[in-house]
Amino acid sequence: MLKVENITKYYGNLLAVDNLSFQIKPGEIFGLLGVNGAGKTTTFRLILGLIDKNNGTITLNNEKITYDNIDKIGFLPEERSLLTKLTVIEQVLYYGQLKGMTEKEIIEKLDYWLERFKITEYKNKKIKDLSKGNQQKIQFICAIIHNPELIILDEPFSGLDPLNVEMIMDVIKDLKKEGKMIIFSSHRMEHVELFCEKLVILVNGRSVLSGEINKIKKDYQKKNIHILGDVDSKKLEAIKGVENITKIGKELVVKIENESFIKDVFAYVKKCDNILKFSVEDASLNEIFIDKVGATYE
Amino acid sequence: MNKKMSCLVKHSLKKKIKTKWFVVVNILIAILIISLANIDRIISLFGGDFENTTNILVVDNVGVFDNFKKYFEQNSKLIEDVGNYDIKLSKEKVKKLETDIEKDDIILNIEASTDNYLQAQIISFDSISLMDSQLISTSLNNIKDDYVLEKSGLTESQIASLTSSVKIEKKVTSPDKDTYKDSEYKDLLSTGIITLFIVPFFIFITTLVQMLGAEINDEKTSRGMEIIISSVPPKTHFKSKIIAALSFVVIQSILLIGYGLLGLLIRFLLSNSAGSVNSVVSGYISQGITIVKNSGLIEVISKALPIIIILFIISFIAYAILAAVLASITTNIEDYQQLQTPLMMIIVASYLLAIMASTFEGALFIKIMAFIPFISVLLAPVLYILGEISLVSLGISTIVMLVFTWALYYFGIKIYKVGILNYSSNNLWQKLFKSLKKEGR
Repeated sequence: MLKVENITKYYGNLLAVDNLSFQIKPGEIFGLLGVNGAGKTTTFRLILGLIDKNNGTITLNNEKITYDNIDKIGFLPEERSLLTKLTVIEQVLYYGQLKGMTEKEIIEKLDYWLERFKITEYKNKKIKDLSKGNQQKIQFICAIIHNPELIILDEPFSGLDPLNVEMIMDVIKDLKKEGKMIIFSSHRMEHVELFCEKLVILVNGRSVLSGEINKIKKDYQKKNIHILGDVDSKKLEAIKGVENITKIGKELVVKIENESFIKDVFAYVKKCDNILKFSVEDASLNEIFIDKVGATYE
Repeated sequence: MNKKMSCLVKHSLKKKIKTKWFVVVNILIAILIISLANIDRIISLFGGDFENTTNILVVDNVGVFDNFKKYFEQNSKLIEDVGNYDIKLSKEKVKKLETDIEKDDIILNIEASTDNYLQAQIISFDSISLMDSQLISTSLNNIKDDYVLEKSGLTESQIASLTSSVKIEKKVTSPDKDTYKDSEYKDLLSTGIITLFIVPFFIFITTLVQMLGAEINDEKTSRGMEIIISSVPPKTHFKSKIIAALSFVVIQSILLIGYGLLGLLIRFLLSNSAGSVNSVVSGYISQGITIVKNSGLIEVISKALPIIIILFIISFIAYAILAAVLASITTNIEDYQQLQTPLMMIIVASYLLAIMASTFEGALFIKIMAFIPFISVLLAPVLYILGEISLVSLGISTIVMLVFTWALYYFGIKIYKVGILNYSSNNLWQKLFKSLKKEGR
C-alpha cells in the first residue's frame, strides 16, 4: 500500500504541495487531478524521492521509499523522457537494466508488450523516427516492463488518439486486475471519472476534493434530471429546488438542490406531452469541482 | 547498485564509441599517425633525387689525398644528417675536369703554398652548401696541421700529445643535478615534450569536457534524467559519467599508442625488406633519438613517471567532475557551452604557460602556477622535466591537486544532485548554495 501522509513542499516561498494525504491499496487506480501547476508532478517527484519534502511521510508497503525499494515503482513522466537517438530495443534495455532486470528478461517482455501495442515492427527503429503516439507507448512500456507494484503515470494519455487511449486504458485495467497500485494524473476529468476508484483534486497544491469517486458523487446532494419531451422550461424553473436549466441537444438538464425535489419536477413533467426520457443522474466531477472551488476546472 | 552502475557506464561508453564518427575519426587518426611514422618512405615513393651523393674529385698536387679523405670522413661522421660523399683522386687536369663538371660534382684542387704551406681551389657547377664548404675547409686545416707538424721536427709522442683533446671532468653541485637544467638540448626538448605530452593531454581534456557536458545535457533536456534518477542515486549517475569519460580517454590513448606502434612496426618491416632510406626525415628521427638518449631525459622522466601519471589521472577526474557539475546546472547545451568557456580558458592558460616555461626560465610566477589545481597538470611536469622544479615539488603539486579534487567531488556531488533535476535558471545560485548545505541520499 502507498501511504502519503501530510506532505508539504515549498519551492522557496511558493507552496507547491500543501499537507496532502492519500492512500492507494493494491488493485486500486487513483486519480490525481489538477490544472497545470496544481502540484501533481511535484507530488510524483516527492513519492519518487527526486525532490525533498518539507514535511510529511511517504511509505510503500510500510517502508520508506529509498533506492533499495525504488525498483518496485514504475514511472511514466509527463514529458517525453526517451533518448531519441537510441533504437526502441536499446532504449528499453537501458531503462530496464536500470530497474535491475537482465537483458534476457527485458527482451522477452519487450516482445510481449510490442505485440500487445501492435508496434512490433518498430523494435529496431530509432525513437526519433516514431510518431508521438508510438513514442508514448514505448515510454509506457519502459514504465511497466519491470513489473512494478506501484505505477505512477503522469498524463499517460497526452498526445494519444482515442484508439491508443483505449489501448492504454485496457492495459491499465489489466494491471489493476493483477493487483498493481496505479496512480495517474490528468487534467482531463473524463479520464479519471472513467476508471478511477479514488481521486484527489489539487488546486494550488491543496486538496479540494478527495476520496472514492462513487461516494463523492453520492454524497453530493445536487442531481441532474435529463428530460426529453414537450416541457416548458419557464415552468420548470419556477419549481422550488430547481437551480438552473441547460439545454443539451434536444434534452433539458435540470439541476436540483437535492433528491427531495425530484418528485416535484416529476409531478410537473408527467402532465406534459411526448415525454420520451426522464432520468436522474449524479452530478459530473466537473460540476462538483466548479461547485466546490467556485471556478471552472480548466 | 554495482550492476546499475556498470549499466550506466556501459551505456555512456557505448554512446561515445559505438558511433560511426568514432570509427571514422580513428581511421583518419590511424592513417595520419602511420603516415607520419613513415613519411620519408611516402616521400620516396613519389620519386625525386634523394640519394644526394656529392662527388669530390681531388686534384692532389701535394700528396695529401689519403689524409684528406681520412679527415673528411672523420669530420662528416661527427655531423648528423650529412649527405653521401664519393671522394676520388683525379689524374685529370683541372681544366679538363671543369669542362666535364656535373651538377653534384666538386673539384678540389690542392696545391702547395709558399707563404701558407697549402692552398686549395673549389670548383663546382652550383654554389656548394655551407656544410660541404665547412667540411672541406676543416679537413684541409687538419691536413695542414699534420703537414706543419711533420715539418717541425717534433717526436711522434709530442705530436700525439699536442693534437689530443684537453680532458674535461664535469661536476655538478646542485641538488637538482639529475635534471638537465643547463643542457644544450633544453630548448629542443621543451618543444618535444610539449608536443608529446601536453598537446595530446590538452586535446583529451577539451574532448572530455565537451563530451561529458553534452551527454549529461542530452539526458537532462530529454527528461530522461527523471527516469534515470528514479532508478539510481544521483551519486551513482555522477560517478558513472566520470568513469565512462575516463575509460574513453584510456581507450583512445591506447588506440593512439597502438597506431604509433603500428606505424613503427611498418617502418621496421619496410626497412628490413627495402633497406634504409637516406633522407632528411630519417636524419631527424635518428638525431632526435640521439638527443633524447644524450640528454638524460629518459632517466629524468622515468624517476617521476608514477607521480606524473597520478597527476594526470587526478586532473582528468577533476576536469570530469567540474564538467559534470557545470552540465548539471545548465538547462540546455547552449548554456553549457557558455559556462564551459572559463574552464576552457583555464586549460588554454595552462597550455600557454607550459609552452612559455622554457622561455621564461626561473620565473617565480610560472613556478607558483605549477601548484595551482587544473593548471598544474600541464605545467608541473614540464617545469620538472626542464629542471625548474624538483621531484618533491612535483609531488606537492600532485597532493594539492588530490586534495582539491576530493573537495571538488564532495561539494560537486551536492550541486549535481540538485542541478540535474533543475530545469529553471530562476534563483539558480540560491538553489546551488542551499544544496551545498544539505545532505542528500
